[in-house]
Amino acid sequence: MRDTTWIGRDLPRPDAADKVAGRAAYIHDLSRPGMLWGKVKFSEHASARIVHIDTSRARRLPGVRAVITGDDTPEIRIGFLRDNVALKRGRVRQQRDEIAAVAAIDPDVAAEAIELIRVEYEPLPAVFDPEQALHPDAPLVHDRDASGRPVTSNLLPVSVRHVSGDLAAGERAARYVAEGEFSTPLIQQSCLGTAGCIAEFDLRGNLTLWAKTQIPFLAQRDFVKALEAMGLEGRNARVIVPALGGAFGTGLDTHCYEYIAMLLAHRTGRPVKMLYTREEEFAFLSPRQSARTRIVQGCDAEGRLTFRRIDVLQDNGAYTSWGATYPTVMLIPATSLYKVANVWFDARIVYTNNTYAQAMRGYGNPEVTWPIERTLDDLARQAGIDPLELRLRNVNEPGETTPMGLEVTTCGLRECFDFAREKLDWAKKRGQQRGARRGVGVAALVHVGGSGRIYRSDGGGVILKLDDFGNVNVSYGGVEMGQGLHAALTSAVAEALGVTPERVHVNPTDTATCPWDVGTHASRGAFIACNAAIRAAAKARTKLFALAAELFAPEVARNLEAHQRRNPGYEPPNFDVGAACAAGRFQLASGVVTLEGAPAEPWLRLELARLLRAGHFRGVAGQMIVEEAFYEPPSTLPDWSEGVGNMSACYAYGVQGFEVEVDDETGEVTILHAVSAHDVGRVLHPQALRGQVQGGLAQGIGYALYEEVRTHEGRVLNPSFTDYKIPTAHELAFPVDVHFVETDDPAGPFGAKGVGEPGLVPTAPALASAIEDAVGVRIADLPMTQEKIVRALREQRAPRGS
Amino acid sequence: MSEEVRMPASPEYHRPRSLEEAWRLLEAQPDARLVAGGTDVLVRLREGRYHPPALVSLRRVESLRRIEPGRAWTIGAGVSVAELLEHRELAAVFPVLVEAGRRLGSAQIRSAATVGGNLCNASPCADLAPPLLVLEARALIASAAGEREVPLSEFFLGPRRTALGPGELLSALRVEAPPAGARATFLKQGRVRMDIALASVAVRLELEGARCVEARVAAGSLAPTPTRLGEVEASLAGTELDEATLARARAAAEREVRPITDVRASADYRRHLAGALVVRAVRALTRPEAR
Repeated sequence: MRDTTWIGRDLPRPDAADKVAGRAAYIHDLSRPGMLWGKVKFSEHASARIVHIDTSRARRLPGVRAVITGDDTPEIRIGFLRDNVALKRGRVRQQRDEIAAVAAIDPDVAAEAIELIRVEYEPLPAVFDPEQALHPDAPLVHDRDASGRPVTSNLLPVSVRHVSGDLAAGERAARYVAEGEFSTPLIQQSCLGTAGCIAEFDLRGNLTLWAKTQIPFLAQRDFVKALEAMGLEGRNARVIVPALGGAFGTGLDTHCYEYIAMLLAHRTGRPVKMLYTREEEFAFLSPRQSARTRIVQGCDAEGRLTFRRIDVLQDNGAYTSWGATYPTVMLIPATSLYKVANVWFDARIVYTNNTYAQAMRGYGNPEVTWPIERTLDDLARQAGIDPLELRLRNVNEPGETTPMGLEVTTCGLRECFDFAREKLDWAKKRGQQRGARRGVGVAALVHVGGSGRIYRSDGGGVILKLDDFGNVNVSYGGVEMGQGLHAALTSAVAEALGVTPERVHVNPTDTATCPWDVGTHASRGAFIACNAAIRAAAKARTKLFALAAELFAPEVARNLEAHQRRNPGYEPPNFDVGAACAAGRFQLASGVVTLEGAPAEPWLRLELARLLRAGHFRGVAGQMIVEEAFYEPPSTLPDWSEGVGNMSACYAYGVQGFEVEVDDETGEVTILHAVSAHDVGRVLHPQALRGQVQGGLAQGIGYALYEEVRTHEGRVLNPSFTDYKIPTAHELAFPVDVHFVETDDPAGPFGAKGVGEPGLVPTAPALASAIEDAVGVRIADLPMTQEKIVRALREQRAPRGS
Repeated sequence: MSEEVRMPASPEYHRPRSLEEAWRLLEAQPDARLVAGGTDVLVRLREGRYHPPALVSLRRVESLRRIEPGRAWTIGAGVSVAELLEHRELAAVFPVLVEAGRRLGSAQIRSAATVGGNLCNASPCADLAPPLLVLEARALIASAAGEREVPLSEFFLGPRRTALGPGELLSALRVEAPPAGARATFLKQGRVRMDIALASVAVRLELEGARCVEARVAAGSLAPTPTRLGEVEASLAGTELDEATLARARAAAEREVRPITDVRASADYRRHLAGALVVRAVRALTRPEAR
């Protein structure tokens, strides 16, 4: 691995002080002159015809500036399949459908106006279960697609399949077979900062939108299309991203509320702000997809996997987000978590009248890792092989090309297992603590580590702008949402350019000033940004050294004169500055330009700021140093009908392990100890990295034990943290051994892989394995609540049939 | 211009400094709602559960905030849960109140929430109710006409319903210091540590040697109101608290509670917890180190 000055050091996070002091400006803090507040009237039915909307009383309320419905505004189609419209016309398909909206002078008046809107509905048949939605007699959630063609089924026209090897041969070769049905629930991303935006038009019809988004440029594209629908062809949509209090996938789509804010801003000629309350966020923002999975896999007598078959049924809800591409990521664990030759994978995504779902951290991966890892424990039991040993017999290795065509450049999975085994004291504890109701368990993950190509460009650009004072202003189109992107990017720019980190300033994300980026998803932020920054820095260094070739000698000559004035009689050493400059032997480190091999004389060095000023103020030859680089990772867009393609430049691996104690009376699970070992390629910023890993672990524990958006006929029953439980400090008060395996990937910036998502991927199966080890119960449906554990314990005790 | 729609007025907000001032306000606006810490009232206001014309805050009424030791202690209704926990002398006499108070909400909630508010909210899950029930606390009810006292067990009439009449408020609790042989504990089960109780249980035992001469058991979140469990008490009293007795107590608890199924838990699980927590509480109180 390369020697580095700043990479791998615990530098202060550039965003930390402002956030801790409450100075960072989130969407909640932003205001614009003359701003109005928007609010949405949501449907009270999951499936109904809208007979009549009476907005007359809302319009008469003092302080109301506009009331709009689908009938008096242009139709704006949105979503991955463009099956959603910003304001519904004639028909609602889910409880949260947007029927009308108001803009008013303050949030209270807006809320009051919404209460005054009366809607008459004619209820229509609805379907809430994805299996039932596939029945031929099920009511159609959509009877036409976005282009008006009739449809005959609730099945989405999004197919991701994979068949490789010979499944029948794999089944014949299997000595042991494990199978089961598993499910993962609808969960809330639970961002600390709720959703919101401000939309503002200038007098030429150009839009500026302050948006809580992870995809500023795809959002710009969506908003420009919406402007066209509003009759504003050729106008721009500028997207500015404020500080984000978490996003976790909620920002991967544009949302109806953003278009409604645009419509209201256009109608009133005033900036309009929309902000969801916590309850609205729970009830009206898309949660993580739920999934049901059927799995069969088998191994030979030595525990080597011979086949794996996975069928996924995913509840889409009433409209389609980018979450419909979950199966593209499910393919990664399905085909490539452990070595397995013969694989079948099929995913069906189904419309229902449930709230429409969207993506979240891990993006399909935890949904499929859950059944894979659970049935591996079953195989290990059947084969009489220790479950960790069985995993090692199938462990992924560098140089492998997986059935999906993933090319494994580097892989530290074995080292991760070794660490977990040692730290959990596996040999002494697994299967040995049933009397104390304690158990240990492990599970692994593979995920994209070098971005994940699901769009035709998977790139991102960086601009470095150097100023007269030696500052480096960095513009990157991805977003800092709390994950530490700006920390990693600061370290990378300082390292690659040769300046000190305090001279590096990462600009706010703004489509007007930043180069294009596909979005901050697929754990790609630091991987892409730092790779682009390394390339931009190399170009800047070339230009700086060309400047130095002309300006270094005269500048240090002035240094020497000054030095001699202060030190009469000083004789410079015998060193030919001119010749060294002509040879171009420049170095730039920590913001100082020197010549390689030059004596360490104080006058023989040039501050970067002075070089930049010398380049600037030299008459007609004056020059600025502004460099950009666009980095497109070496990966391929898979063929989804075949489910094959090397979608990432490298792959991240990891292992999590837990020791738990289970209260067999109350079902309460207490985590005693956790291990989280990850192949991260290279540590860029240890503090930010630990934050990602520990944060992912906490979120994974919530997914495993507590979290579920409960619904009845599409209505959310627990729309607040009173009844939607996430782990708090008390549940997380256990020691965590975090370990990073540095495999120095050739595609990674300084060798680093993306690590944003892995932290929650194997958490649930690792905990489930530990719970099973402790008290012998197996739960197939997340979350593994206390109540489910108690029920399973009772069934275990009761004789069958009683 | 046609009829103009009127915005509903925000409730008026009053902050009396004495009970006398509060009576006057209540007389003028009988539909006014009393508020102390606000941790329940404000949540329900925000949910639009009620639209009172006025809120009368009791925070500045000093007489509601007293804690007076004695053979029977007086604990003012306006004492915050945090103040209750910080009162060392009280904690020594009534450790079960400290156990329950610590499980009530978060540190921020405990700083605002009051003892009286927790009871007057009359939620079946009020954390302070089961321990006060096994301590056989009495509720001091004050009005412009004077003061009356009712046993706390008669204070709760149903979910959100108390024995308070118009113009009355809970001013304090009277709690007798327990005799030397008595000890009590409070157990609560949530989905996570900081949660509304799925089930809670307070048990107070008086022991003579190994023999239980008196047992008091109260439950939260297991019936429409916080309630004493008479059958469970009868199963424990006069026994040596052996395993057979505990099995009977568990069965009695499962039989006697009347839990509901909601988004938090099923009635079945709550019923199971009732038995489990009673047994666990008795075991905790009879462990050698507890004596």
